[in-house]
Amino acid sequence: MAEAVNPEGQVPVTVLTGYLGAGKTTLLNRILSENHGKKYAVVINEFGELGVDNDLVVDTDEEVFEMNNGCICCTVRGDLIRIVTGLMKRRGKFDGIIIETTGLANPAPVAQTFFVDDTVKEKTRLDAIITVVDALNLPQRLIDSAEAEEQIAFADVIVLNKVDLVTTEALSAVEAQIRKINKYAKIHHATKGSVPITELLNQGAFDLNRVLVHAPEFLTSDEHEHNDEIRSMSFEAEKPIDAERFNAWIGALLAEKGGDMLRTKGILSYEGDDRRFAFQAVHMMADGDFIGAWKAGEPRTSRIVFIGRNLNRPQLRRGFESCQVA
Amino acid sequence: MSETAEKILQTRGKTTELDAYVVKASFDRAGTACAFALGDGTVAIKPLAGEAWHRVPTHEGAILALATDAAPQGWITGGDDGHFMRIGPDGAITLIAPFGMRWVDTVTSFTDGRTRLVACSSGKKLMVFDAANTKLKTLEHPSTVTGMVFDGKGKRIAASHYDGASVWLVASRSDSPRKLDWKGSHIGIVMSPDGDSVVTAMQENALHGWRLSDNQHMRMTGYPSKTLGLSFSKSGKWLASSGADSVVLWPFFGGGPMGKPPTELAGGDGITCTYVACHPKDDLVAAAFEDGLVVIADIGSARILPVAGPGRGPVTTLAWSPDGSHLAFGTEGGFAAVIDLSKT
Repeated sequence: MAEAVNPEGQVPVTVLTGYLGAGKTTLLNRILSENHGKKYAVVINEFGELGVDNDLVVDTDEEVFEMNNGCICCTVRGDLIRIVTGLMKRRGKFDGIIIETTGLANPAPVAQTFFVDDTVKEKTRLDAIITVVDALNLPQRLIDSAEAEEQIAFADVIVLNKVDLVTTEALSAVEAQIRKINKYAKIHHATKGSVPITELLNQGAFDLNRVLVHAPEFLTSDEHEHNDEIRSMSFEAEKPIDAERFNAWIGALLAEKGGDMLRTKGILSYEGDDRRFAFQAVHMMADGDFIGAWKAGEPRTSRIVFIGRNLNRPQLRRGFESCQVA
Repeated sequence: MSETAEKILQTRGKTTELDAYVVKASFDRAGTACAFALGDGTVAIKPLAGEAWHRVPTHEGAILALATDAAPQGWITGGDDGHFMRIGPDGAITLIAPFGMRWVDTVTSFTDGRTRLVACSSGKKLMVFDAANTKLKTLEHPSTVTGMVFDGKGKRIAASHYDGASVWLVASRSDSPRKLDWKGSHIGIVMSPDGDSVVTAMQENALHGWRLSDNQHMRMTGYPSKTLGLSFSKSGKWLASSGADSVVLWPFFGGGPMGKPPTELAGGDGITCTYVACHPKDDLVAAAFEDGLVVIADIGSARILPVAGPGRGPVTTLAWSPDGSHLAFGTEGGFAAVIDLSKT
C-alpha cells in the first residue's frame, strides 16, 4: 500500500459512486469500521441511504456548476472545493477523504473538480474512483440509466457486489458487460461490500503500469459496436515520446472530442527524462505530472488509455504513435 | 530587503506562533483587541494593551469565518461544527444559533450605533439576527452562499453564490432579492462604500461587478489564480484584489473600470499576492504574498513599505484596526502578528 499522504503532503481522495441500491453505503461503513487506525473525512450527500458512522462526516448538496468558459462539459462540484478547502484548515491532517456521490451522479464533475481549483490541486490528489455495482441488478440498470454506464466508465476500481445472489454464468455475463465498457478497472467480487480496505484506498490508480498488466490487449475485439456506447482502448509506444508533439496532439484531440472522451490516462516516457510522466484527463480538462523514476532495466513503454464514446481506434493509434521521437 | 522588511515587525510588532491555520483576523469595533480565528477551533485574542495572548476554545472543528461583532467589543464566528457563536471581550462564548451538520460558512455584522445586526450563512440560507440573538430573517438562495456583505447603512445585504449574487432589503417584508446574474461560481463579495457597486470574485480567476444604478456589468479578468482578498478603498476610488503577482487595483472613478487597465503595485517578482486589505481611512492598501511578505502600498504615490519579510509561508489574512493605527496578519502555519503603525 502506498503512503497515504505523499511527500508533497497531498491528502488522497477516494470517490465512491454507484447507483441506488448497489451497496455503496454498506461498503463505506465497512471501510470505516475496519480497524485500520486511520482518520478519514467522509463527505456524503443529503440523499444518503444509511447512516454513516465516522468522527467527521460532512453532509453536502451536490452543487454542480458549469465553468464560465463556454464549454458545457466543464462542470465542477463547487461544494467540494469549499469543503476540501475548509477541511485543510483543520488541525491535524487526514489520512484520506472519501466522497460518496448520489446514485444518479455523473462522476465527471467530481473528477473535474480536482483539475480546476488551485488549492484542491495543491493539497489533495484524486486517488481512485470506486464504483459499486451489484451482480443482480446491473444488467437492468445499464438499460434504464445512463449514469450506471458512466459510473463504470469512470471507475478505477469496480466492486461487483452481491455476487452470492447470481449464478456463475450470470456473474460471467455481468463481468463481460463491465469489461466491454471499461476493461482497465480492477474488479473485485464482493458480498455486502467485503473487499479488503487495502484494495480500495491508496490505490494510486493513475499508476497505470499495474492496471494495464491486468488488461492485456487480446481482450480487444473488433466486433461491430454502436458508436454511442462507451468503450475503452489502450495503445503503447516503445520509443520515447516527444513532449511537445504529445501536448499538441492530445490538446487538439481533447478540444475537438472532449465531450466524448470520458477519461484519458497515460504513463509516458518523455525523451531525455528518467521519470515517468502521468497524464490524465476528464473530458477536456487535463493535467499531468512526473511521478518518479522508471525502474532500472524496466522497458520504458509509454501507454495511454481512452474511455469514451465514438473512439476511432486507427486514428487514435496513429495519433499516439506519431508522438514518438523520430 | 528582508532585513529592512523585518525591522518594522521586530520593532513595532507583537507576534506569536499559534500552531494552527490562521483562518481570519479581525479587530473589534472599539479597536481594543485583535482576534485570530484558527483551524483548531480556538480563537486567539491579543488585547492591544499588554503582552498576553488569550486562547478561547470556540468550536469543535475548524473555524471557517470570523467578523467583528455589532457591539463595540467582541466577535462572531462560524465553524464546521455547525455553530454560529459570539465571543465577548472577556472571552466568554455564547451560541447564537446551531445548524446541525451544516457548516456555518460566512459571518458578518452591521451597526450604526443604534441598530445592531449580525448575520451568518449555512448552506443556501442566510440568516440575520438582532443583538438579542433573535432571528429576524432567513433568506434562501439558489445555491450555497459563499460570501455576504451589508451596505454602509445596514439597509441591504448582498450574498454571492452560483451564477451571480442576490441583494436583499433587510427590513423588507416581501423577501425577494434583486438578482445580479452572471454565469459561473462566485466565491466572495464586496460592496463599494457608496453602495452602488457590487463586485464578486469568481472561481474562474476573474472578478465580476454590477453597477446597481444603471445595471452596468463590469468584467475584470486576467488573474493567474483565484482572488481571495477583495477590498474597496475608503474613498471608493479603488478596488484592491489579490490573485496576481502584484496588488491589482481597479479604478472605480471617472466612469468605472470598464475598458481600463488596472494599476499594479508591488509586483514583478512572480510571487502571488494572496490577500489584500484597504486602510480604513487613507488610500493605502496592505498586501500579503505567498512567501510571507507583507507590505503597505500607498496607492497615490505607488510607494511600498515592507512590513514583514518573506519566509513564513502563505499569509491567509490581513486586518486593519478601525482607526488604521494597527495592522494584523496571520499565516497558514500559525504565525500571527499585530503591528503598531502609529506615530511615536
